[in-house]
Amino acid sequence: MSTNRHPIEQEELMAYLDGELPTDQATEALSHLELCPECQTLVADFRDLSQELMAWEVESPEVGIPSQINAALGERLQKREAAKVSSPRLENRVMTSRWVWVGALAIVCVAVGLKLTLTSRNRNEDRSTAYPSMASIEQYLMLDRNAEIAMARSAAPEAISDDAKILVLGWRGYETAIEGKNGFVCMVERSWMSPFNSAEFWNPKVHVPLCFNPAAARSILPLTIKRTEMVLVGLSKAQMIDSIKAGFDNKELQTPEPGAMCYMMSRAGYLNDALGHYVPHLMFYFPLTDKSSWGADLPDSPVTLNPQFQGGPEPITEFVIPVGKWSDGTAAPVM
Amino acid sequence: MTSDEALMLEFQGGSRAAFEELFARYRKPLYGFFERRLNNPDRAEDLAQETFLAVIRAASRYEPRALVRTYLYGIALKLLAAERRKFLTSSTSGQSAPEPKTDGTPECALWVRQAMEKLDAPEREILMLREYEQLSYSDIAELLRIPVNTVRSRLFRSRLALKSYLESEAKTKPALRASTAQPHPGRRGMQ
Repeated sequence: MSTNRHPIEQEELMAYLDGELPTDQATEALSHLELCPECQTLVADFRDLSQELMAWEVESPEVGIPSQINAALGERLQKREAAKVSSPRLENRVMTSRWVWVGALAIVCVAVGLKLTLTSRNRNEDRSTAYPSMASIEQYLMLDRNAEIAMARSAAPEAISDDAKILVLGWRGYETAIEGKNGFVCMVERSWMSPFNSAEFWNPKVHVPLCFNPAAARSILPLTIKRTEMVLVGLSKAQMIDSIKAGFDNKELQTPEPGAMCYMMSRAGYLNDALGHYVPHLMFYFPLTDKSSWGADLPDSPVTLNPQFQGGPEPITEFVIPVGKWSDGTAAPVM
Repeated sequence: MTSDEALMLEFQGGSRAAFEELFARYRKPLYGFFERRLNNPDRAEDLAQETFLAVIRAASRYEPRALVRTYLYGIALKLLAAERRKFLTSSTSGQSAPEPKTDGTPECALWVRQAMEKLDAPEREILMLREYEQLSYSDIAELLRIPVNTVRSRLFRSRLALKSYLESEAKTKPALRASTAQPHPGRRGMQ
């Protein structure tokens, strides 16, 4: 391949495929690719090669945190707590004057009190043990159906959610509360849409209002429906994972349609104990892709890779982009 | 939705849950990192654990200017180098490295592994960091302390060499290559 006929080198084509070219060069590469059968063949070869390398899969045994790591972790956290309480500067001050001694004593009291408060709070918020198994189903249901409809609608601006189909969670799964007109579907997801390894997978406080656009309603919503149905009939996580994998294998489930996204702009949501209401944002769904293709998680990038499906049975990549306003138009906190 | 870097900072601040989340995200990738390079599941498991132990011990030294992913694989590369030195020492003193375990490994995976072994070690490492650890060119350059352009040119050479090797092998084992070319929905390919 000569540079006379091809404005870009083969190596640059490879970098383009890897998402490693600057925008202007990537645009040039794409324009050339559309016209050059020779380069299209090369690109296809590189893609095939990458696909073939994926045949070398490594199955990791399923284990929890080993005792050796747990012990080291406990030791480090204990040392850190101890270091917070005893401060050399404080000890020096204690020796200087009576008044300082009294003041220091007061500080110690406050510090100890604060430590006790934090310890107590941490114990309450210990996400590794707080939600070890499924709570009773009624704890996940919202008794006030109208409240759930309102919360679902709050996921997107009224201009969208007013004409959207609304689903609410019932004893047997999601039910249609209101038929829609615009192809959007709004609902409130529960904790089991978290990653399977999430410590909050069974947190009944989690209420995640969202509005799927039509493409996501067709390709992403079925995942929510399926997980929910499996949870409500009492399947184990392992059974659910197997069933989801089988669902993709037999085409019952599908990867995201082009353009699949959802609105998550409700100030009423509770994503989990760590994030609380979080910030209003949009989510975009793709078949598995490298986060670098969106510049996700890079310094100052507004795009974040959502771990919801990372490492899970669903071959989906999900990007999050915060927006500046809640669905009611009021300003949101800066992330 | 919490980024790795935010979790690491939370862990520095004393959060056990943040560490547990990082462990959940990286245990399998780290195991895969070691297993593909050592072909020894037991050592892969041990070294993945040692990586996390190193993270715990050095948590206070982590600075958020480095991605956690890069930071973890940096530790893993050091442990891997030490492991290889250990085997080198033991083999010169009369002990031999254990035979790679192949029981239960699908034939197509073995085929890819054998093809990888044909590459020069530095080029193979770059290719593996890109394809299996999904690191960017700049991450790889930082870890291996080489220029980004060198990463790119070596990656290109290694892909061409591998492609050529696989094509020549496919002429003798066409059915096998066809089996590796099936899509793997749970894994990332080149985009």
